[in-house]
Amino acid sequence: MNTISEFLSYPFIQRALLASLMVGILCPFVGNFAVLRRMSFFSDAISHSAFAGIAVGALLGLDLSLSSIAVSIIIALLIAFLSEKTSLSNDTVIGIAFSGTIAAGMLIIGMLKGYKPDIFTFLFGDILAISHIDLLLLFAITILSIATLLIFSKPFLQITFNRELAKVEGVNVRLFEYLLFLIIAIVVTVSLKIIGMILVTSLLIVPAAAAKNLASSMKQLFGLSCAFGLISGLIGLMASVYLNTSSGPTIVLVSIGIFFLTLFKRRA
Amino acid sequence: MNALSVENLCVKVDNRHLIENITFSVEEGSIIAIIGPNGAGKTTLIKAILGLIPYECGSVMLFGHPFKHANSHIAVGYVPQRLEYDRTFPLTVSELLGFTVPPIYSFPFLERKKEKNLIKDLLEIVGAKELSNRNIGSLSGGELQRIMIAKALVNNPKILFLDEPASGVDIEGQERFYDLVKRLRKEKGLTVILISHDLNVVYRFADNVICMNRKLICSGKPEEALTDDVIKSVYGEMMGAYIHSCHEHD
Repeated sequence: MNTISEFLSYPFIQRALLASLMVGILCPFVGNFAVLRRMSFFSDAISHSAFAGIAVGALLGLDLSLSSIAVSIIIALLIAFLSEKTSLSNDTVIGIAFSGTIAAGMLIIGMLKGYKPDIFTFLFGDILAISHIDLLLLFAITILSIATLLIFSKPFLQITFNRELAKVEGVNVRLFEYLLFLIIAIVVTVSLKIIGMILVTSLLIVPAAAAKNLASSMKQLFGLSCAFGLISGLIGLMASVYLNTSSGPTIVLVSIGIFFLTLFKRRA
Repeated sequence: MNALSVENLCVKVDNRHLIENITFSVEEGSIIAIIGPNGAGKTTLIKAILGLIPYECGSVMLFGHPFKHANSHIAVGYVPQRLEYDRTFPLTVSELLGFTVPPIYSFPFLERKKEKNLIKDLLEIVGAKELSNRNIGSLSGGELQRIMIAKALVNNPKILFLDEPASGVDIEGQERFYDLVKRLRKEKGLTVILISHDLNVVYRFADNVICMNRKLICSGKPEEALTDDVIKSVYGEMMGAYIHSCHEHD
């Protein structure tokens, strides 16, 4: 069995490690808002719309990361717009977007000729295949998203607590809600290559839910969720290398293990 | 000067009037109670005034300025009827109040002494200093209402809207709450618009009363406006007014 230092000497492992660190912090940080606002289903819909974006990109010969981000943003804003302007409930709008985008993605992929390995990277994730460009993009998104959510944490949390009160207190609810939807869409999409479309929501939701089991303040919630995400990313990645398993599912299973531990602690 | 002037306000949903041609004004520094049966449109009226729901016709003026929604020029305080929030929300009282303190942006890890002092002062005003580090999910109904008043006061509003603020709070809690409202009016010169089902509260704490059932039915001083006939027409034949002999108006 290889030693840790040997593993760390491989550039692809170094990149994977950095990616898992960033995703481990970024996803739970953003996920806290999704959990508190009960928007887990929304992040699922976004990951599925990214699938449609990947399909469109593959069909038109575009960069798959960029096409998936573009389609995810369009769908996220469409969900926000329809939820606001129609009498349909949020989950109905999300459900329509969810099934519509996956159907569109499957239809387009069926039209493609030949084997498209890139598409499967997005479906199941492959942290070991992360490139320098992917890493840079992830770094930029991590810094921008966390900085925006921290600097404007007051209005974001006011809206999360109670929309009506936030509005009366002078918060531009529409602006900050659209901004939050946008951030979630971008974060979900850039994390796809690492965790995969099927499991990306787990890394948003599970560490945040585990932290919510223990936290009694916002500071604790954000601190614990990022710590749990970080631990899941690191342990999951190392375990997947040692056990020769897929990294995405291993990271998610570690985070679910942490969730159950916090659940017992909460019950105790 | 009028703190609030409402002219011919009407709110329609699916071609049905929820409130119709409501006109009234509130003098600065007074407490006005809005009463009416369930479904009379009291909450709709307050929400329309605050810009939370659109109105079909009419106008709202706050301190002489047209008011469509909250903004930085006219700060208003609002305590809703049933605060909808997740009781498992891991949030302390200080954090909740801190969100509301301007400016809208914040830089983490910087000492915010001014914010901390303001929160301390507000908690002291509402008599809830000891609740500062408590989780909001663990507060009793009365404690939560005092915290919501503190939250409503953060932006130093000149007018407070309270929608059945003491419903679900025990008698002692209600007394403390209305005494606090009265003290705030006196000390800060606040104008208070209060929805209540409790006629006893109206007689004891309100300078004026508005009774409504989709339309305006009466307005004026409680002793004058709330005649037996008016109360019967608002609440039904089984109701009547009993005016306490010990009157607590300032």
